[in-house]
Amino acid sequence: MTFRQFAYRNVVRNRRIYAAFFMASMFSVMVFFMYSMLMFHPKIEDEFLREFAVSGMIVAEIILYIFTLFFLFYSMSAFLQARSKEFGLLLQLGMEKKQLNKLIFLETMLIGAVSIATGILFGYAFSKFFFMIIRELLQLESLPLYIYWKPFALTMGAFISLFVIIAMTSVVFIRDQKIIELIRGNWQTDEWQSFSTVKAVLGIIMLLFAYTAAALTSTNVVKALSIILPPIAALGTYFFFTHSVMFILQRLRKRKSLYWHRYRLIAVSEVSVKLRENARMYFIVTIVSTVAFLSVGTLTSLSSYTGQFRELNPLSLIYSSELTNPYESEHISLIRNELEEQGISYSLVPFVIKQQTSSYSNFKVNILRESDINSLAIALGLPLISLESGDGMFIPYSEESIKTLANREIQTVLEESNVPVQIKGIYPQMLFPSMIIGSNLIVVSDADYELISEPLVGRTEMTSSFNFFAFHVAAWERTKSIGLTIDTQVTNAIYNQSYSDLPFYFENPGLNYSIIRATFSLLLFTGLMVAAVLLLAAGSFVYFKLYTGLERDKRQFDVLKRMGLTDRELIKIVNRQLFPQFFLPWGIAMLHSAFSFLSLQVIWSNLAEVSILGDMILVLIGFTLIQVVYYFLIRWRYIAHVRA
Amino acid sequence: MKILKMDEVTKVYEGKVTHRAINQLNFEVAKGEFVAVMGPSGSGKTTLLNLISTIDSATSGMITIDGISPEEMTKTELALFRRRQLGFVFQDFNLLQMLTVEENLVLPLTLDGLPIKEMKRRIGDLANKLDLDQILEKRPNEISGGQAQRTAIGRALIHQPTIILADEPTGNLDSKASRDVLELLVKVNQEQKTTILMVTHDPIAASYCDRVVFIKDGEFFNEIYSDDRRQTFFQRILNVLSLLGGNVNDLSTIRLP
Repeated sequence: MTFRQFAYRNVVRNRRIYAAFFMASMFSVMVFFMYSMLMFHPKIEDEFLREFAVSGMIVAEIILYIFTLFFLFYSMSAFLQARSKEFGLLLQLGMEKKQLNKLIFLETMLIGAVSIATGILFGYAFSKFFFMIIRELLQLESLPLYIYWKPFALTMGAFISLFVIIAMTSVVFIRDQKIIELIRGNWQTDEWQSFSTVKAVLGIIMLLFAYTAAALTSTNVVKALSIILPPIAALGTYFFFTHSVMFILQRLRKRKSLYWHRYRLIAVSEVSVKLRENARMYFIVTIVSTVAFLSVGTLTSLSSYTGQFRELNPLSLIYSSELTNPYESEHISLIRNELEEQGISYSLVPFVIKQQTSSYSNFKVNILRESDINSLAIALGLPLISLESGDGMFIPYSEESIKTLANREIQTVLEESNVPVQIKGIYPQMLFPSMIIGSNLIVVSDADYELISEPLVGRTEMTSSFNFFAFHVAAWERTKSIGLTIDTQVTNAIYNQSYSDLPFYFENPGLNYSIIRATFSLLLFTGLMVAAVLLLAAGSFVYFKLYTGLERDKRQFDVLKRMGLTDRELIKIVNRQLFPQFFLPWGIAMLHSAFSFLSLQVIWSNLAEVSILGDMILVLIGFTLIQVVYYFLIRWRYIAHVRA
Repeated sequence: MKILKMDEVTKVYEGKVTHRAINQLNFEVAKGEFVAVMGPSGSGKTTLLNLISTIDSATSGMITIDGISPEEMTKTELALFRRRQLGFVFQDFNLLQMLTVEENLVLPLTLDGLPIKEMKRRIGDLANKLDLDQILEKRPNEISGGQAQRTAIGRALIHQPTIILADEPTGNLDSKASRDVLELLVKVNQEQKTTILMVTHDPIAASYCDRVVFIKDGEFFNEIYSDDRRQTFFQRILNVLSLLGGNVNDLSTIRLP
């Protein structure tokens, strides 16, 4: 038997032990490969957001790589730890340290090679399915399977280098161990109760502070908080797992009436050992899960924004112009020409908006004519209105205002022209985005509209009203290349802060939508990629730790069973022991994300009138379900193992 | 009064090679007796102990412990029976590493849900008797082998079991600690009238008992009772062992106290 054969037989005949490690490596390779397949996809390269996509994917792949490295490194060390007895025996039989290193290197590379090969194989097999999902997500027309050497080369190169690094470095773990320690399997030095009360309390305070700050955040401070809070929360989490948990459990253990209660004695002490041994791992799992929850949650909220975009922007192109605007006719004919050139059918509703001061609020109101609103409503297929002389109606400026103003009744006089108006109710649909005209918008009957003749106080007739051109295009998503030159002027003006000098304003929701959707899809895409790997890794960490501790746990349960532990008690202990390991990091991550979402909602409501709460809850429930399924799966296997 | 009674007990391990570990063994232990079971490797000592521990069941024959037959009980009843009626002392102590000495002692009682006061009282008594007062807050890995085995004996005693089953309790201890542990067992046996059944390889350990039962290949071989002097009893044990004809290796080297 040559040395290589020995290594080979070690792996092949121990495949049960190696299975867990192999599966994890293989899965990483598979995911990485599928992502590379997507990254090099010719369709994506040609059509879809070339510059964004490539840079986004590179970032995602780098994160993936680093994370996989980290994950495999951790798994490997846990794995070597589980085999320490075997290594001790080999050394005792006279194997040189150098040879042992070589053995581990060979074994790792063997597993690496096999997992790379099978990972790529499965990755390729599942690529089509993966593409189908991505195609749905990105609403691409087609995303066919293809063969090209680059994804293969990238995956192989990345993972071969990764396994070499791991094989070389993981040996460090057994380098300084004495043979006798290896044989006994005493790896960790036992550091009981090595927590500091100060840090324990500090950890809890930091977390509470971060949560409170996140919950009470407002528009003014949200930016500053978004820089300060994450490090505080991260450090707080670290202290929480390394010190606070120990502190709390120590407290609990002092309360004998709680602690010395049937199987709780074993369950609590066992949990505290597990939590202490793996504190750093749980910290990592928590942070990783938080990042995963947040990225998926944020992205869902973004996509809910695109979903509501059309409702918030029913008009396809909007051009508003002061009466003094010299470019008006030039711009309007430009837009019309461009629409006609592209063969897009449209209807144009021009109208004039007058401004008056309301006696009710002393603010400026923008006034529309009933027949204008009705022609707009006809174009958009919305309900018509009919107003008596002297009646008025609000035009909603946000989704929320439809509800709040529905039953308002206001008696006001349009002061300059002395026209009394009774404003009742609100138009039931959004017509204009609030940016365009402002929030104080009403519609009056045609007769009353004619009566408004005096200009706004302090303005001339030319500046107290403006022209408004509403284009309705059924195929609104196709308007993204219409009026680009005007859009550029507006953008530049906003950029130079000379927006108020501009005599016109132009908005193209189709263009905005295409930009927003493209950016969001890409974010969603990369975010989902990373989140999937992170979640997988978070779960695997817990699994690995359980797996490596299985022998010890089994021995312990054997003793307990001999001493008279019933089967039901055993299961109860296992439940109480596994539950915190699964759900404590998860729970903290949940809390972190929930409070982050609270802040996010503040940022979000500044950008657009969208509530992300519903989506967030959905996302969190989704993750919880996955976690619960995972818990039961592992629990089932674990109980089967310790009972055997 | 007989506390343990084995009547024609046979244990056969089925497998590729059928193996008869215990063969028609008759065996009794009286209340308050301190009995050692000796025999060469593979003689069925551990199987015997497992049968009495109720974690294994006999192929044929009857075992009764304090008038109760474990065979008729369900798994849960058996667990409760072990918890209340049996105390275990193991060669490698088998203390739970994550518990302190005190918590290890109290473990059988917490499983049974006794009131805290009662638990504290019993710990106080036992710690004093076993000289564990100083180390109650320590972890098993912070104490010596002798202390660990004393803790294990405490754990076996705290619920006042009908019988204590000890499996090579001195197997991992040096001679000084061995002597301490054995003297402790004798003390417990004499003062509290606790019945102890000890399986051992060590003739010295056996010489502390009231009676030594020898088994060979799963069958009864011989038994001898102690006399006034432990030295002569030890010598008689050695004589039987040499008669047993096991390999010389099976006998540990003689260590006189």
